[in-house]
Amino acid sequence: MNELELQLVELGRELDVPAAPDLAPRVVERVEGRRPFPWRPLAVALAVVVVAVAIAFAVPPARGAILRFFHLGGASVVRVETLPPAVERSQADGLGEPLTRDAAERRVAFKLVLPSTASRVYVLGDSLASVVVRAYGRTVLVSEFPGRGEFLEKLVAGRTDVERLQVDGQPALWLEGAPHVLQYFDRHRGFREEPILIRGNVLLWVHGPVTLRLEGKLTKAQALELAHRLD
Amino acid sequence: MVDRPLDETQLVEQARRGDLAAWETIVRAYQGIAFRTAYLLGGSAADAEEAVQDGFVKAYRALGRFRRGAPLKPWLLRIVANEAKNRRRAAGRRDALAVRVAAEDRPGDAVPSPEAALLAGESRRRLLEAVERLSDEHRDAIACRYFLELSEDETAAALGVRRGTVKSRLSRALERLRDELGEMP
Repeated sequence: MNELELQLVELGRELDVPAAPDLAPRVVERVEGRRPFPWRPLAVALAVVVVAVAIAFAVPPARGAILRFFHLGGASVVRVETLPPAVERSQADGLGEPLTRDAAERRVAFKLVLPSTASRVYVLGDSLASVVVRAYGRTVLVSEFPGRGEFLEKLVAGRTDVERLQVDGQPALWLEGAPHVLQYFDRHRGFREEPILIRGNVLLWVHGPVTLRLEGKLTKAQALELAHRLD
Repeated sequence: MVDRPLDETQLVEQARRGDLAAWETIVRAYQGIAFRTAYLLGGSAADAEEAVQDGFVKAYRALGRFRRGAPLKPWLLRIVANEAKNRRRAAGRRDALAVRVAAEDRPGDAVPSPEAALLAGESRRRLLEAVERLSDEHRDAIACRYFLELSEDETAAALGVRRGTVKSRLSRALERLRDELGEMP
């Protein structure tokens, strides 16, 4: 090493770095819910699921009470004993900035498959695009987000049914029954919306590289029909 | 840092099979260097703590993708460094580093004259200020290679770039520092 490099090493040793806290107990607490599989094909999916576990553990009332996980594209559904505190909002609130379809596509950096009848696309952060449409006499919220990563998490408690389905051969989840809680994350998990209480039924399904979410007071058959039309 | 002999490969295998005690041992062994890495890259103790915690959780869950027999430290540091850089990006800023006050009187050193101590302190501060003015890419390379004392290979792994990229970034960063500090060789 030359003189300048040696001075940098010396400087590094003299930097004021706080003492490292003992994080082992918290790490263990967070991963304790499930064990990893050594099998490669499952590892990627499981890693994403477990991040959802970590997120759920970060919600204090849900800590230690996680019962089951479902993962689908960029979304996770976590069954807990007790729902965390959440705010209620109308379907049109908290969806983000209203943009034209082109501007929305530029912002999220993926091709939208949302219904083109909506004049405005709402974009939250840099990854979640939503439109509000009318179908079967009901207001329906349709959202789209990347299928890889963790962008949306749902916490459900005992009286919400979670059913595995398929939409045009792609995996889907149907959530019906009691209210559940929804939380959004951005690409870096740096942006978090306040947990939102959802009273409608929800269909989540994979569509190529994106994940779609449909929320409204629809029956399962109506939601599947709508999803099929979008596909 | 590792403070006792550690059969790392065996611990990783145990953790891969779901042995949380083995993972806890690994966390304790590496949380010091992981925290220092996250702090030097991110500049905030609170963010560094979160980055390390999230990094170790993600690493545990990604053990199925960890190549058997590969060195664990660079792999862990890469995950933690990514977490720290993501937080830095999200915050849009980074707190400046500082030199320890106690560094003026290091144990074991001959007691310097007041003038010599003042000059040494001033020189360190100028060097640190020059490092802080570097671009993030150059500063990260300097932090990993010299402040954390990682090898070039470890620096490359931690930053997720090729070794050649590390060498060129370090070369440019050192050149920039020499230009800024003028009198330094």
